Amino acid sequence: MTALLAITKVQIRIIRNDPWFLVIMFGMPLVVMPLFGETMGLSLRASGFADATGAEQVVPGQVVLFGFFVGGSVGFTVFREHGWKTWDRLRASAAPSAALLGGFGLPWVIIHVAWQALLFAAGALVLGLKLNGGSPVALFLILLGYSLCVISLILLTTATFRTVNQLNAFQNVGAMVFGGLGGALVPLEQLPGWAQAIAPVTPAYWAMRGHTDVLLRQGGVGDVLLEFGVLVGVAVVVGAFAVGRFRIDETKEFFA
Amino acid sequence: MPATTSLPNWLSRRCLRVQTAVVLQAAGLIKNYGDVQALRGADLDVGEGQIVSLLGRNGAGKTTMLSIIAGLLAPDAGSVSIGDVDVLADPEAAAKLLGIAPQETGIYPILTVRQNLEFFGELAGLGASRRPRAVEVADQLGLGPLLDRKASQLSGGEGRRLHTACALVHRPRLLMLDEPTVGADVATRLQLIEAVRQLAEDGAAVVYTTHYLPEVEALDADIVIIDEGQVRARGTQEQLVAEHRLQGVRFTLDGEMPPELASSLGAVEVGDSAYRALGDLDMRGLLSRFGDHADLLTSVEELRPDLETVFLAVTGHRLDSDGSPSEATNNASAGQAAASEGGTP
Repeated sequence: MTALLAITKVQIRIIRNDPWFLVIMFGMPLVVMPLFGETMGLSLRASGFADATGAEQVVPGQVVLFGFFVGGSVGFTVFREHGWKTWDRLRASAAPSAALLGGFGLPWVIIHVAWQALLFAAGALVLGLKLNGGSPVALFLILLGYSLCVISLILLTTATFRTVNQLNAFQNVGAMVFGGLGGALVPLEQLPGWAQAIAPVTPAYWAMRGHTDVLLRQGGVGDVLLEFGVLVGVAVVVGAFAVGRFRIDETKEFFA
Repeated sequence: MPATTSLPNWLSRRCLRVQTAVVLQAAGLIKNYGDVQALRGADLDVGEGQIVSLLGRNGAGKTTMLSIIAGLLAPDAGSVSIGDVDVLADPEAAAKLLGIAPQETGIYPILTVRQNLEFFGELAGLGASRRPRAVEVADQLGLGPLLDRKASQLSGGEGRRLHTACALVHRPRLLMLDEPTVGADVATRLQLIEAVRQLAEDGAAVVYTTHYLPEVEALDADIVIIDEGQVRARGTQEQLVAEHRLQGVRFTLDGEMPPELASSLGAVEVGDSAYRALGDLDMRGLLSRFGDHADLLTSVEELRPDLETVFLAVTGHRLDSDGSPSEATNNASAGQAAASEGGTP
């Protein structure tokens, strides 16, 4: 536990010393949101949500899309330890493997949830997003489930890939493919039939479904339990694979 | 009232060598990387307060040995214990007793000197004491005024000192430094050596790998010569020089070695146009023996009985400052080579 806390604290300290990545990742969706708000409003109203403003799609959509980029940071930090040559020092410390993985994953789960929540708050200010009777607790559950899911997925890819370039490629393409398929770019109903059929394999689908339930259907905690359960379930399974696959003594290339 | 005098440091350490408990015991270490045998049954033990300097060329097996002791690498065979802890069975318990500064500088550039030291202290289990201890270690290595400077803003030598400081911040029972002074300036070297000596005086066992022979002398270390994955010799500098003294000349030629001279000198080829002749032969004697053929000689070097020639006698190779081989015999055992040349192995 001491090692887990020490690694968690130092990761947070590193982020605090260089917060610009998060600043950019907070600013970019805020730039994009207003560009698509009106179009998404038309789209949602055409799908039967008569009072929709568009913010109900574009805010969670950008959060889900950019959430993949932000979650990718956990993998980047592991690769960066190899680049800084501190990985062997961590390995030679008394820290067990689980503390190492946990120490890298835990701060990013917290940051990821907080980042999503802040973007929702900003969406409320900028685009007038309202809960419209939906439950804030239900919304939080979806944010938490999505964060856990993305972080565990990135940890699995980090355990699998040998170079940071491979991770970057997966992160960039994954964000677009998973986000697009999952309904983060346009409402699910607007996607072609084949895309709608395979959409449930993406975490973005379940996150967007949960957000739609809360923001457009006045959903409560009970209404998002399925989505939350799927997200957490995937996180647990993928996380277990990540732990099983993680080779602490494998050399990773920070730049290759 | 009887006068009391304390033993000089070097004598204290000599005494400790035979009197104190063994901290590190590694036996029969074998490690293969595919077809390459990195370690072939290497042994190493280090006692409390003892400094052991591992000498060997690049690829001799030093870093592999340190990695196994640190639990970073699993051996194919052999055992390692630190104190009473079996490293292979309980690496986490062993890690608490160990401080290691790997060959490459590993620090967090984005954190300050203080934050780096406190982190590695906390990681090793130090509580609130990590804060004063970070200051203490920083002062010891001349980093005191730089405590709040980011590591990325340190010079190369300062970064190297921080790298080493992170390994000793938790006062490990066993400290392993893998070429800590590579790329460091003279001041940094002196500070590191002094810090290591101080740590040993406080009771830590130290394993120190280096290519710089003057450092070994300055540390007054026990010397372990490792070559081709095996420990070839061990002892103090005086012991090794006495046991493996090598005297003679090394010379290079521009042209063929006259066969009659090769035979009478007992010279053996040790490189491209490079030869070695052992025995009571100095530069003047060699020139005289060459006589009319002296114009063939392009360089002559006298081999004196020092640590460098001990290394040559034991391994058949020179220990260059960059660790690269500059001379090699065709025989597997340099000791045998030296013996077959008529010199003292």
